[in-house]
Amino acid sequence: MTSTTTSSHLGALLMAPVNALMRVVDIPLRGLQKSTGIGGMAAFFLAPNMLIFGIFVLLPLFINIVYSTTGGTAFFLSERSFVGTEQYQRLFTCTNYLDPMSCQEDAFWTAVGNTFWFVVLQVALMILVSLVTALILNRDLIGRSFWRAVFFFPVLLSPVVVGLIWKWILQRQGLLNFILYEIGNVTPYTWLTDRNWTFIATIGVSIWAHMGLYTLILLAGLQAIPKDLYEAAEMDGTKPARVFWRITLPLLAPNLLVVVVLALIKAVQIFDEVYVLTGGGPGTSTLYLTQYIYETGFASALRNPGLAAAASILMGLVLVVLTLMQLGLGRKNENKGKR
Amino acid sequence: MGEIKLTDVNKSYGSVHVLKDINLHIKDGEFVVFVGPSGCGKSTLLRTIAGLEKITAGEIQIDRKRVNETSAADRGLAMVFQSYALYPHMSVRQNLAFGLENSSMPKAEITERIGEAARMLEIDQYLDRRPGQLSGGQRQRVAIGRAIVRRPTAFLLDEPLSNLDAELRVSTRAEIAALHTRIGSTMIYVTHDQVEAMTLAHRIVVMRAGKIEQVGTPLDLYNEPANRFVAGFIGAPHMNFLKAEVAAVELGTVTLTIGGGHKLLVPLSGHKLKVGDKVTVGIRPQHITLAADPGSLTVKTRLVEALGSETVIHADLHGEKLLAVVQGQKQIGSGDEVHFSVAGAPLHLFDENGLRVKSA
Repeated sequence: MTSTTTSSHLGALLMAPVNALMRVVDIPLRGLQKSTGIGGMAAFFLAPNMLIFGIFVLLPLFINIVYSTTGGTAFFLSERSFVGTEQYQRLFTCTNYLDPMSCQEDAFWTAVGNTFWFVVLQVALMILVSLVTALILNRDLIGRSFWRAVFFFPVLLSPVVVGLIWKWILQRQGLLNFILYEIGNVTPYTWLTDRNWTFIATIGVSIWAHMGLYTLILLAGLQAIPKDLYEAAEMDGTKPARVFWRITLPLLAPNLLVVVVLALIKAVQIFDEVYVLTGGGPGTSTLYLTQYIYETGFASALRNPGLAAAASILMGLVLVVLTLMQLGLGRKNENKGKR
Repeated sequence: MGEIKLTDVNKSYGSVHVLKDINLHIKDGEFVVFVGPSGCGKSTLLRTIAGLEKITAGEIQIDRKRVNETSAADRGLAMVFQSYALYPHMSVRQNLAFGLENSSMPKAEITERIGEAARMLEIDQYLDRRPGQLSGGQRQRVAIGRAIVRRPTAFLLDEPLSNLDAELRVSTRAEIAALHTRIGSTMIYVTHDQVEAMTLAHRIVVMRAGKIEQVGTPLDLYNEPANRFVAGFIGAPHMNFLKAEVAAVELGTVTLTIGGGHKLLVPLSGHKLKVGDKVTVGIRPQHITLAADPGSLTVKTRLVEALGSETVIHADLHGEKLLAVVQGQKQIGSGDEVHFSVAGAPLHLFDENGLRVKSA
């Protein structure tokens, strides 16, 4: 009883300055509410966030659109001339869209082609690897929590660190070649200078870096499937493959769809780790869209911010479609849950 | 056939011994109910019979064949789960067909079996719906239907009514009893509800802490509980237990002294009781009547519940709780002094270890 009283006294003492401050803050807020009404208060509290969102998201988006309609190498808008849709026309000037070399902006179409194949292969492999890993981690393994952490850990790494780690492993005198030589006296491979190997390396490294998140989402989905469904299937003598195709996969479908869309969005945006690992090379074999935009706008000797802006808006449109897909799927799952 | 025999069955999870020396013989066509408090091992016992859990020691026979190493699918049993375990993405028809398709059964036969089960359980109008579109009672029927279509040796039902509301539970209970009569297969039913056990079972298996306390017909368990636990578990409301001391032992009768110096005469012969022994006397609340005679048990009421057809009286007898259920409506209030009579009531005697003191 005594200790309760003491602690309540202490609480009141600590709260006294807070309460005093609140009373002071209260005065203008009450006045504001009186003049603007309760709806105005909502706008007042939302204003700081909307301001930050406006300055750092909406404004750059708008400026980017303006950039895409201007020409020249200057960064100041006042020094740039209006060119209308010229940048877009330049991007789309091709005699044959399947042959990047026939396009005026061949690097853009090479990057689009590379990104397309990267997205298709990386997402397909990512889903497969994440699903298999989640299925394995969902079993009664020894040290299951440890293995889950191991697979999730790369997600926490900065993409630059991921790129540097793998560069150290894959370079000509790197760890992988050293191990191959020690084990099988294998002649060193040129993982990062051979066109085909480099493309595969970027896919492999990006899967390694991001699969942890998707594995986690799929694992959560697997764990949400009631155990007794599997027991019912066991009583019915269902073979493991049929259990997977007829029970696990259909019940995992909502998570799987979310993972597919997230992986697609992430794959389209691939940049940092590949830029550190290969720099887009050799040649343009691993030049992806984001790197093209970066180099066109900032890094190349003849920089063209307008062209980069136009390319980024086109890429943005693709991402908008993918995001709408994700939102649609999310809503569909939500409705399913309510039913 | 659906004969199941358990011999010295034991099950441990690491150092936790959950089933201890279970011996049980379930005859073909019998309806056996495993009953006991939560954590007593009744569901685990059912799952070991199903083959979903491996036993640590002992032997399980189904139709006189050892099945310890036989997979759940090959034991020829069907299980109805507490959560129903229906596949949510499949229609009722697909749910019923799923197990049959595994055995490559011809489509015509699958359709025939589904039709038959659906008619029997009156779910034929829901065959194209998904489980999420059905009520709890309908899902329950589908779960039973899924077991029926397999035509198993025996049905294993794990608390199948626990997710239903009270009213639906009573009607579904009657349907399960009717179903058993119609198909005549062996059924093993797990519940913690002693009313379900009493109303459904041919024989009840009362379990506590991984052990079988008593096996018998519902009335055997009610009339002659083997120990205090069974006596307290079977029957609602629970049996009253009063501390007593043997005051006199005569031929065919034992005189007991209970709280307040009241004397109770218990007809008993062939026992080993002697004067001064401490015992517990058990009296069912329904066997207590109200008496006008001040010479009977004088108690003070603590709470009186008028249920219309009967009156439940919570009373205090010299510090010990005593519950009586008397027929009809009585004008008694809380705190009143009333007289209880146990004349002619079956009195149950338990020794210091809680075991029944039997007549020879």
